[in-house]
Formats: sequence, structure tokens, C-alpha cells
Amino acid sequence: MKLLNTVAALALMAGAAGAAEMGAVDEPIKLAINEWTGQHITTHVAGEMLKAAGYDVEYVTAGMMNQFQALADGEIAATLEIWSSNVSDEYAKQVAAGGVVELGDLGLAAREGIAYPAHVADLCPGLPAWEALKDCAQVFASAETIPMGRLVDYPADWGTPGADRMTGFALPFKAVPAGSEGALIAELRASTERKSPLLITFWQPHWAMSAYDVKFVELPVGNEECFTDPAWGPNPNAVNDCDFAPSRIFKGGWSGLEDKWPAAYEILSNYQLAVEDQQPMMGAIDVDGGTVEAVVGEWMAANEAKWKPVVDAATK
Amino acid sequence: MSERPAIRVEGLWQVFGANATAALAAAKAQGGSRGDIAGRLLDQGLIPAVRDATFDVAPGELFVIMGLSGSGKSTLIRGISRLVEPTAGHVDIEGEDVLAASRKRMTELRRTRMGMVFQHFGLFPHMTVLDNVAFPLKVGGMGRKARHEKVMPIIEMVGLKGREAAFPRELSGGQRQRVGIARSLAGDCSVWFLDEPFSALDPLIRRQLQDEFLEIRQRLNTTIVFITHDITEALKLADRIAIMRDGVIVQIGTPTEIVLNPVDSYVREFSKDVAKGRHARVGSVMRSDAGDVGPDDPGLRSDMTLEAALASCMSLYEPVPVRDGDGKVVGMVHPGDLAKALQVEET
Amino acid sequence: MSALLKLSPGLRAALITVLTGALCLALEPVAPWLVKWPADWTLPATEWVGAALEWLLGGIKPLARWFSGLLGYPMAWANAALTQTPWPLIIGITTAIGWYLGGLAMAALGFVGLSFVLTSGYWQESMNTLSLVAVSVPLALIIGGAIGILANEAPRIKPAVQGVLDVMQTVPTFAYLTPLLLLFGFGPVVGLIASAIYAAPPMARNVLLGLERVESEIKEAAVMSGGTRAQQLFLVEIPSASLQIMVGVNQCLMAALSMVIIAAVIGGNNDIGWEVLLQMRKANFGPALLAGLVIVVFAIVIDRMSGALATERKRYDPRVAYGILALAILAALLAARFLPGPPSWSLFDGAAQWVDDGLGAFNTEHGAKLTDFKNNTMFFAFLPLRIGLDDAVLPFTWGFQWTNAMSLWFFGVAGALAGVLWATGRPVAGLMLLIAAGVIETGVANLPWPFLFVALGALGWVSAGRNLAVMVVVLLSTILLSGLWEPAMLSLYLSGISVFACAIVGGLLGVLCAISPLAWRFIRPVCDMLQTIPLFVFLIPVLMFFQIGEFSAFLAICLYAIVPMIRYTRHGLANTPGDLVEAAVASGATPMQILRDVRAPYAAPTILLGLNQTILYAFAMLVIAALIGTTGLGQSVFLAIGQADVGLGISAGAAMAILALIADRLVQGLAEERRRALGL
Repeated sequence: MKLLNTVAALALMAGAAGAAEMGAVDEPIKLAINEWTGQHITTHVAGEMLKAAGYDVEYVTAGMMNQFQALADGEIAATLEIWSSNVSDEYAKQVAAGGVVELGDLGLAAREGIAYPAHVADLCPGLPAWEALKDCAQVFASAETIPMGRLVDYPADWGTPGADRMTGFALPFKAVPAGSEGALIAELRASTERKSPLLITFWQPHWAMSAYDVKFVELPVGNEECFTDPAWGPNPNAVNDCDFAPSRIFKGGWSGLEDKWPAAYEILSNYQLAVEDQQPMMGAIDVDGGTVEAVVGEWMAANEAKWKPVVDAATK
Repeated sequence: MSERPAIRVEGLWQVFGANATAALAAAKAQGGSRGDIAGRLLDQGLIPAVRDATFDVAPGELFVIMGLSGSGKSTLIRGISRLVEPTAGHVDIEGEDVLAASRKRMTELRRTRMGMVFQHFGLFPHMTVLDNVAFPLKVGGMGRKARHEKVMPIIEMVGLKGREAAFPRELSGGQRQRVGIARSLAGDCSVWFLDEPFSALDPLIRRQLQDEFLEIRQRLNTTIVFITHDITEALKLADRIAIMRDGVIVQIGTPTEIVLNPVDSYVREFSKDVAKGRHARVGSVMRSDAGDVGPDDPGLRSDMTLEAALASCMSLYEPVPVRDGDGKVVGMVHPGDLAKALQVEET
Repeated sequence: MSALLKLSPGLRAALITVLTGALCLALEPVAPWLVKWPADWTLPATEWVGAALEWLLGGIKPLARWFSGLLGYPMAWANAALTQTPWPLIIGITTAIGWYLGGLAMAALGFVGLSFVLTSGYWQESMNTLSLVAVSVPLALIIGGAIGILANEAPRIKPAVQGVLDVMQTVPTFAYLTPLLLLFGFGPVVGLIASAIYAAPPMARNVLLGLERVESEIKEAAVMSGGTRAQQLFLVEIPSASLQIMVGVNQCLMAALSMVIIAAVIGGNNDIGWEVLLQMRKANFGPALLAGLVIVVFAIVIDRMSGALATERKRYDPRVAYGILALAILAALLAARFLPGPPSWSLFDGAAQWVDDGLGAFNTEHGAKLTDFKNNTMFFAFLPLRIGLDDAVLPFTWGFQWTNAMSLWFFGVAGALAGVLWATGRPVAGLMLLIAAGVIETGVANLPWPFLFVALGALGWVSAGRNLAVMVVVLLSTILLSGLWEPAMLSLYLSGISVFACAIVGGLLGVLCAISPLAWRFIRPVCDMLQTIPLFVFLIPVLMFFQIGEFSAFLAICLYAIVPMIRYTRHGLANTPGDLVEAAVASGATPMQILRDVRAPYAAPTILLGLNQTILYAFAMLVIAALIGTTGLGQSVFLAIGQADVGLGISAGAAMAILALIADRLVQGLAEERRRALGL
């Protein structure tokens, strides 16, 4: 990920420039719509900002894992919510090949961790302290994992951070990879409905955090050494014995974006969205059943101060 | 047979299996009879379906090839028409070496000279009667109107007038074969192949179509190769018959010769149940020395069937004279010989 | 040795297998590489494949891009045609076609089906999906038709073509999505090409079959009429084969539809498959099911209508169809006047929510029972099979610890039973029992590779001779050498238990349906539905009740793969020739005796073909089931997508295809042998 950071730094420097040319306004700017609601909100807010600046915007559905080739080919102009925790290797390849550039942080404070629905605290007293898991692994045991406890980890293609923590803390848990986000949510839902025990690797912002009242297990806050030096942390024999490194959520764009639509490039580079803004909108959509367009439209009208300056800086 | 034969088949072999051509050449090189050669091929797992067939068919002749199923008769006719590629041998049709003809030339020959009728009709299910019959003209490039005009008389001739727009599935078996016959005639063929054309029909229809076939034949005067497994049909229709067994032509002869002088027990077995009196002619049993005849002359002619001749001289015991078509005496026959020839062999 | 040669082939194969197994068992402690192929013995095959592919892809990329640009046009046209045409007109056209092809019933099906789509609120997404199908199907038809004709014209290449078709159908689509993306660029074009690849083989097979089945006399008649080869082919043979070719068109449509949904993973088209994925991501079972049902409705309408093309020659009065069209135009005008744009009704959202809540409530109430059921099945059936009795029998689960003494006892009892069977004249059955005992004791995932090589090779030899045996061993060694042996064994285990369960349950249901027409009347529509539902939708209910894990995957696979087993078993049993049955009745046999002694042996080849289909279906579902969370090759395929690792994706896909092909050839060999024995 070092490469990404360098690129990010470069992108930030570029983003600091002032007003820019509009560029090809008669061609629509295509923004990627991925598979989750938060991303839809992020993208629609950005799209509305571009429209306010005078651009034509088109939303294109694109698989999160498969979008980077399209980004490099310019078939998609930008994708606005990339999670460092689960970005496909394709991204790094395309950045290295020069087709994709990073457009800076989205500013969404994300958190990942080992989590559980609130009712599980009754089944395993001592939670949220991680030490509690040492003794109640049996509670979480399942047919596949017996005699160890079961941790539902991310899908295999997102990496194995949950499994790494279990080894790191020497906890008697076996990580079972979920196959997809849907499978993770299904676990949360079933556990909540049945009041059954569940330990899961999860992240926020996510609508399910509030819908299923998900809590994070408290793990010691780590630093770089935790991941390189076994001696660091509660387990002297292993690395990874600390909380997840905070995820970075950033934006990516086509390398031709800056030349074709200079002002749009500047807007997208400087665009940020906070968890406090995104999470209520997610609730309004996923829990209350509103449409993305309506919810975002409402927010845009009510919070002009949060986005108008970015547009103005680029265009005036 | 002084004139050039319409079809000449010489040393035709049809061997099925891998590398048949090379294997046959090798087997032939070792010499021996055709039986020896075939034996060698069989040992290699190859199937010699037709073994060294040789015969001529005269222009206008109706030549019947008869044999049981598996005797190679259908393969033989497919070799002659080159529906399958013969392994070795020569086939001349009207003086042209068919096996040497290019693909293009072969297509040409089939359009202009050959016609073929199939046992199960081979009708195109997606075409009407009219289109089926006109198909050879269509592939030959004739315009729609011209070809329809041309085939209408043929359709009429086979008795299907009024059913031109029907599809094959709407016709009875007999009607279907009439379509097959009409189609084979659409190209004005001079050589007509019929592969068991009436075998799939029930007996009544079969006899009716046989008679109609003979009528058509009278009008067209084409050279005909006719395949059948039915001895009665062969005797009824043929000018000459070739009898096949195990891929070998065991006897070629006129119906009378086949009936009265079978070359071996296999052929005899065929003619055993045949009412010989209805097929053999007086000429085959008479003596040509018209000498010592008795006083009576019942008026026998050499082309009379034995049955008819016997009926004319039931009460006679002396030899009687036999005349040809012009009334000239050509020989004599003893009534006792007539009766003896009719005797059914008990074997 | 000479005594060994005198034995029957089956007995010899079983004996060799048992000996190999015993040897491996004995040597395991000193030679651990017999079970676990050491990582440093593997060739970096996936990297080679990746490098070779990237080189190749780079080479043909410009051409592919040009082609995908070209395809963009018809796609845009189809999309414009379907999305710009007023919805009443599309419903009207479908209804009119339905009437023309199948009368009132078919017209009603078209009308009700599309009305459901309209009122579900997924009209726009559905039209996007259809426009993709509208382009991919002609593409698949052309490719498939060309392949079929080519194979017919050049019989020499037929075996090679069959192999290519097998590969096209058994390599999971997900495995080649990444290379396709690299090649053709992002967007619906990739889904289109993926679905064309998957949908072309049934067309090719049916074209070839149809052409081969044209009566030889019809072909000869065309020759003797003086047609050139092209005239023979296009004027006679292809039209004569049209019914079989229409069967191909029907299968091609269905395959394309199912694959278009899968390809929605890539996105770019905002189609109905994307909608299913979106809902599944939220674990919204009701809405996902609703979106899935929209696809089912399309599948059924398309299937029935194109099926009518293939079977019925009868057509209905076109005047009624014109009448329907006129009404549709009128409705379109009225709709344009009063309802601007396609309506966004969603009449079924309430129902979907109700289903969702109902499932939730059921889950709350009976969750514990479901978990118990799952756990017991896992403990007492799945785990022993996967890791063997020696690892699976633990105090936590069975109440005691498996010991070496128990192993000895276990083998002793199995050996004694085998001896009894041998003594009573069934030596092969006895040896099979020993083999089964060995597998249960060891576990499928822990089987030594030489044992599997020998067992499958021997089976190949018995079923189809030396060539198959060699092929099996060679293909298996490619998996072993490429380092994919472990996931491959997990996949084999999962599909193995699924196929086993399908064979038993599906076989019994098939027997039931053969005996009782009433049962068939109930089971048949269920079979139809299971076969037309997009594969994703199977995941929904099993995830709901049993969550992540192989038990859910097992159920999802079974739901899909059981159908051919039921169908073929019933078909084989019910279609025993009447005179055989009459002869049996006349001999005084009871219905059960007829079933056992007459119908079952006669139906054996058909049932084996059903098993064969079940195996292929199970492998097809294996990748989809990985979305639930299974280990094995399916997971490798998804890993490869995430990492854009072309080599791993293709290698894992190929390993899957290899397993499927081996199973396919073995079973087909056995079926062929049965058919020969019966003189069919």
C-alpha cells in the first residue's frame, strides 16, 4: 500500500490548485455505482456537485472488483469510495500502469474490527473486552470448527484480517470465510433473529451496524510495530495482536480525467464526505426505504455549506 | 450385345474400414481368388461389402440386382451411383468413367443423366410435393416457373395431380413413393437407379406400383438398375437378374435361366418356392433339333410360359414343334419335359 | 500375475484399488507426501498460465476491443428498441406471439408474465437484461451453428470439437470473467460474450445431432438430385434438421439468460441480475426473491415459447394475433397520453416484505432446531466423510474419542463382511465395501493421491477402456502438479456428497413419479422452476436458514442438481417398452417385481445419464455456492477475480472442468456399457 500513499500525496498536491477550465462539458462524466448503499450516496453527492458545476453526469453500475480496467480505459471517469481494506490488486496494477490515478481521501472515517451483535454480550460476559473471548470460545463453536470457536471472516478475496487477529491473540477461534457481503449480513440477521452467538469481522460505516446493533470487540490500539514485531502487544510470540489498522477510504479516477474535465477533476479531488453525513442517509435509504436520488437531493438542499465551496473553488 | 453397354461395371470392390484402399491393394497383391482376398480383409477387421462385381447393362435394359439383406446389393448400387466411393474397380456410364469424374462433373452427371428412387422415399419433409419433384431442376438452376411447368406432366403421370401442395407427412406410403419416382424422373435421366423402391409398401400397393412402373418404363425407355430382395418382383420385372450373396454376384441371367438353371443351392433356394410355370418359358426346355415331332401341333411358341404350354398339350405324349414369333419352327419339346421342369424340388 | 489376469475386469480393478489403498495406509506414516503433495513439488503452473495468457491477451487485445466496439452497436440498438418501445406494445407483441405459437394458454402466459414484470417495478432493469440476451443469443446461435456445421462437414475434427464444447460448458464463467474484462473492456459486452460462450455449445451440439440424424436417404436424394454440397446443406439437410435445431435454440436461450444474470457481477448494465445481487448483499431475502422471480418469469415465457417452436408444428390464427397487436397499439397510445414513461409500480413490495418478515419470524422461532439439524448432519455424516472417522469422532460430538483400536475393529468388521460377500459369489461388492470403509475412515479430503489416481483410473478402464484410464490419470496429475490438489479435493468432497444425496433422494422421487402420475403432476412444476431460477436465488433460502458453511452450499447444490436425477429416473422407468411390461404382467409379476426386475434394468442407461447431468449441474453450482463461503476451487476462482489473477482463475476453472469431465466420462462410459449390454 506504500505505492498508494505516494500516489495519494501527489494527488493532494495537485488538488490544491485554484479555479480550472471546464473542459468537455458536452460529454457526460461517468461515475461508477458499486454494490453498496454508502457508495451510492457518496457517488450521487459527487454527481450532484458536478451537475451544479455545469457538467452532465451519468451513473454506471460497475462491480467493485472489476471496475478498474474500465477506469483505466476511461470508460468510467471516477469511482468515489475505494476501501483500502478490500481493494482488489487490480487497482495497484492499473495505478502502476498509469491508467488510474488516486483522487485523494474521501474523508470517511472507517473502522474495521471483530464485532458481535449486542445480544451476544449476554452469552459471553466480559465483552467487549477481547480477553473475554479466551474463555467463551466454546459458546461460539459450531460443527465446522469444534472444539474451537467460530469467527465469520471476510470473503476470502478481501483478505483474512479476522483470522490474522485470532492467530495474533492466540484465541481459540477458527475463521470461516464468508463467501460474500450478503453472507455476512445473513449471519448477522440470523444471529439477531435467533439470539444465537456470533463473532464476525465487520466494518463501519455500514447500515447493518445500527440495524443489527453491532458492537466492536475492544482490541489494544496498535502501531506499525504490531504488524512487524512479535514482541509488541499482549502476545509476545505473534504479530497482528492489536486492533485493525484504520482503513483509508479514497477516490480513484481515470488518468485522462484531469485533461478532459479539469474543473471536475478538481471538484472530485477535493470532495469529502463525513460518516456523520453518510450514515443517516444510509438509514433513510436502507431502513426507511427512500430512494438514493431523493435522500441525496434533500441532503444537498439542506447542507449547501458543506459542498458548495468545493464547487465554487473549482469553477469561479 | 454388340452395342456399347449403358453401364459397365468391372471388378468393383467396396471395402469398409480404416485404410481400406491400401488394405485391399495389399490383399490383392498376394493373389488368389476373390474369396481369398476377402478372407484376408476380414481377418484385418475390414468389411468387404461388395467383392469384385462385374457386369454390363445394355441400353434400355431393366437389370435387377437381387439378394437378401446384407448381401451388398444396396452398397453396390451406391457404388455405381457413387453415393459411396468404391474402393477399387471401374464404372462406366454411357462410356464415361464415373469414378474418375470430378466432383463438379459428378454433380453435372446426376443432374442430367441419373435418377434414383429410395426404399424409404428420401422425401424432403419441409417441401411440398411440387417442390420435392422440382428439386433436381431447382439445384440445376432452372427458374421457378419453368421447373413447375416441367414437372407437372410428371406429377400427373405418377397419378398425384391435385396433391401438388401437400407435404410428405400428409401422404400415404404409396403416394410418397410416387413422389420419389416423379422426383427421380424430373431431370430426364437416361440411367435410372431404384433401390428397393417398393419394399416398404404393403403387398397390394406394391403390385399396383409395379404395374405402373412397367408402364412408365415402356414410355421412357431408360436403362434401369433395380434393387430388390423379392424374387417374385425380380422375376416379374427383370430383363436380366443378378443374384448376390455375401457381396459376390453368384449368377446373372434371364428370369428363366435363374429359375431353371440355378448355379448353386443358394440360387436354387430362392427359386424353390417360385411357381416356375409362370416364369420359365418354353424356349428354355425345348430341343432345337426340330426333327422327330409327333403328329399333333398345339401351337407352342418359344416365349410361352411353361404353364400355358402345358395347358395346351395336356393330353399329348409325343414331342410337339415349337415356333418363334413369326411362326417358323425353331425346335421341339416333349410334354413330359414340360411337366418335369415344373416339378418342385424337395431338398 | 496370471491368476490376476484371469479375473473379470471389474474384480481386477477393485482388487488393485484395495491393494493400493492398503499400501498407502501402511506407508502414510513414513511417506506423508502420499497424502499431502509437498508445495515445493508443484510446478508454478498458475503463474505460467497467467503469463502465457497475459501475453496472448495483449496480442489479441486490439482485435477484441474492435470487436467489442462493433458489438456496441447492436447492443445500443437492442437497448433502444426495448427501452424506447412503449411497455403496452411489448406486452402486446409477446402476447400476440404467444397466441400464434400456442393459442390461448401461451398468450395468457405471455400476458400474465410480463404484467407481473411490469407491476413488480423492474421493467427497466428487465428490458436491459433482455437487450443483452437479444444480442448474445444471435451471437451464440451463429457461433454454435457454425461449430455444429463445421463438425458435421469435417468428421475428422469432431472429437476435438466435442472436447472444446465440453470445456466451454464446464469451465465456470467466473473463471474467465477477468481475462474477458482485460480483453473486451468494461461493460455489458463482457457479460454478453461470456453468455455467448456458455450458450453456444448446446446450439452446436443440437445442430450437429440434427444434421447427423437426417435420414441418410434424404441426404442421398439431395446428392442424386445433383445438388452441390452447399445446396445439399442449406436446402435439404438444415431444413430437415430444423426441429432438432430448434431444441438447440431453446437451450441456447435458456443458457444465455442464466449466464447474463451471472455476468451481472461485472455491472455496467443496471439489469435485473444486478438488482438480485444488490438485494442479496443486504440479505433482503424477500426482495431478492422477487427480483429472482422476475427472471424466472422471463425464463419460463422464453422457454415455453421457443419450446413450442421446437415441438409444435401447429400454428394459431394470425388474425387474432393482429387483433392483439392492434389493442396493444391502442393501449400504448392511451398510456402515452395518460402515463408518461414506464410506470414504476411496485405492487409486490408488500408481499416481498411479508415473505421476508415471515422467514425472519420462522427463523426466530425454529432457529435452534435448524441449527441442531445442521449440526447433527455435519457431525454424523459430512465431517466423517470429509476428514475421516479418525478425526471426526471426538468427545464433543460423538461422545467418545476414536482410537487406533477402533480403526482396527472397523476394518476388521468391514473385512469380515467383505469376506462373506466374496464367499457368497459377490467379490466385487465385497471389495467395494472395503474401499468405502477405507474412504470413511480416512476422509475424502485426506485421501492419498496415488489411491485416487488408481481408483479413478481403474474405474475408467472398466467403463471405457485404456484410453479413458490414461486420460483420467493425466488430467488428475495436472491438478496435482499445479498445486490445486487440496482445493480440488474439497470441491470433490462437496460435490461428491451433493451428488450422492441427489442420486438417492432424486432417484427415489423419480421412482415415485414413475409409479404415481399424481406425484409427477406436483413435482414436475417444481422441477421446471428449479431449473429456470437463476442460480443465485438458490443461495437465498439456504443462507437464511443455515448461514455460512458447507451445509448451506450442499443444500444449494442439491436444490439445483437434483432435477435431472428426478427427470431421467422417471423418464427411464416410465418409458419401458409396453411389450416388455405386458410380458412381465403376463408372467404374473407384481408391480414391484416389474419395477425391480424389468423397468429398472431397462432404465439403467437413462438413469446413469441423469446421474451424469446431476454431476455436471453440481459442478456448475459449485462456483456459485462459493458465494456462501466454501473452501475449494470455487473459492479459488473468486480469489482470482478479486486479485485479478488471470492465471489462478483459469487454472482453478480448468481444475474444476477437469473434475467434471472425468466424472462425466466415467459415468458416460458406464452408461454406454449398460446400453451395449441391453443391445440398445
